[in-house]
Amino acid sequence: MTSHTDAIDARDIANLNQVRDLFRHADPVPSDLAERIKFAITVHALHAEVAELMDSSLLTTRSVDAKVEPTPTDSVTFTAAAVSLMVSAGPAESDAIDDADERVRVDGWVTTPGAQIEAVTTEGSSTVISDANGRFVLDDLPHGPVHFVVTDPGNEDMRPVITPTIQI
Amino acid sequence: MTPTPTAPDGLGTLAGRAFAAYRAGERERLSELVDIVTPVLWNAARSQGGAPATCEDAIQTAFLQLVDRADSINEPAAVLGWLVVVVKREVWRLARGARREFGVEEVPEAPAQQLDPEAQTILSERQRVLWSHVATLTPRCQELLRVIAFADRPDYAAIAESLGMPVGSIGPTRGRCLQKLRTTLGTDPGWAV
Repeated sequence: MTSHTDAIDARDIANLNQVRDLFRHADPVPSDLAERIKFAITVHALHAEVAELMDSSLLTTRSVDAKVEPTPTDSVTFTAAAVSLMVSAGPAESDAIDDADERVRVDGWVTTPGAQIEAVTTEGSSTVISDANGRFVLDDLPHGPVHFVVTDPGNEDMRPVITPTIQI
Repeated sequence: MTPTPTAPDGLGTLAGRAFAAYRAGERERLSELVDIVTPVLWNAARSQGGAPATCEDAIQTAFLQLVDRADSINEPAAVLGWLVVVVKREVWRLARGARREFGVEEVPEAPAQQLDPEAQTILSERQRVLWSHVATLTPRCQELLRVIAFADRPDYAAIAESLGMPVGSIGPTRGRCLQKLRTTLGTDPGWAV
């Protein structure tokens, strides 16, 4: 006989694993819940304005086509009250052709020259300042989800603008 | 009895480490915390009987409160338990409407676990048998087992406490809920492997 005062043993752990599989199967965590929480935290922490995604159809479905279309020119535009941002993604330039698919180059344009654009990816974040024409390049990003945070170092009154997450 | 080998660090320890690093200035470690604890929090929320949208809101609110109060939380290592408490209270608050606030000691007990009829149709035969046994346990035991099943053994006691169970209800000893599950499964000839 076993008693409730015994130490937890392998059978108990096996039973709990079955319970976990049962609920994981019957009532799974929504697949994008963690990403949505992270996004909400970022918006909240920055007191940011969320930019509206104007065109998402091309970029989000691009990854499967990447191999057959070496120079994709799909672009996506975000609009907020203070600023608009356009980005397009393509393979990063690389000496080894085999590596061409592994990193992503993002070319972008923002309506504010001298704005700071931060790309937040699964690897962390990369920051760049737009030039006098509002252009910028982020040359070494991983494939996967990314969102951008735009701030204006020259204008402290501008609320940071954060974009929805897209796939590159 | 020899303890079964488990990961030396439970979920709670990993979560505590990520949160401590976040507080120390490594902002990106918060993502790690979200990834680590979201499955436990989802099950803690859903085990209260809240609708999926309510549960998502409750979990998001708990994280936003955590960010706002990050510096005033006394024990960063206990962040998992802190989040479980807030999520549970938040689900009840949202489900009942803001007009009734619950005190700290006043969070109601979870109802018996329910599965959507649709969800039941996708269960394997073995999962259906397990579900029929789980459903015979008290609502409190169902809630406890559902939530700790998504954590590691070192976390059981702290999670039980966060859910409002008496100290000693589980871990390091089996406790009555795990014992009941073991007994009811043991009496089912169809369950034995």
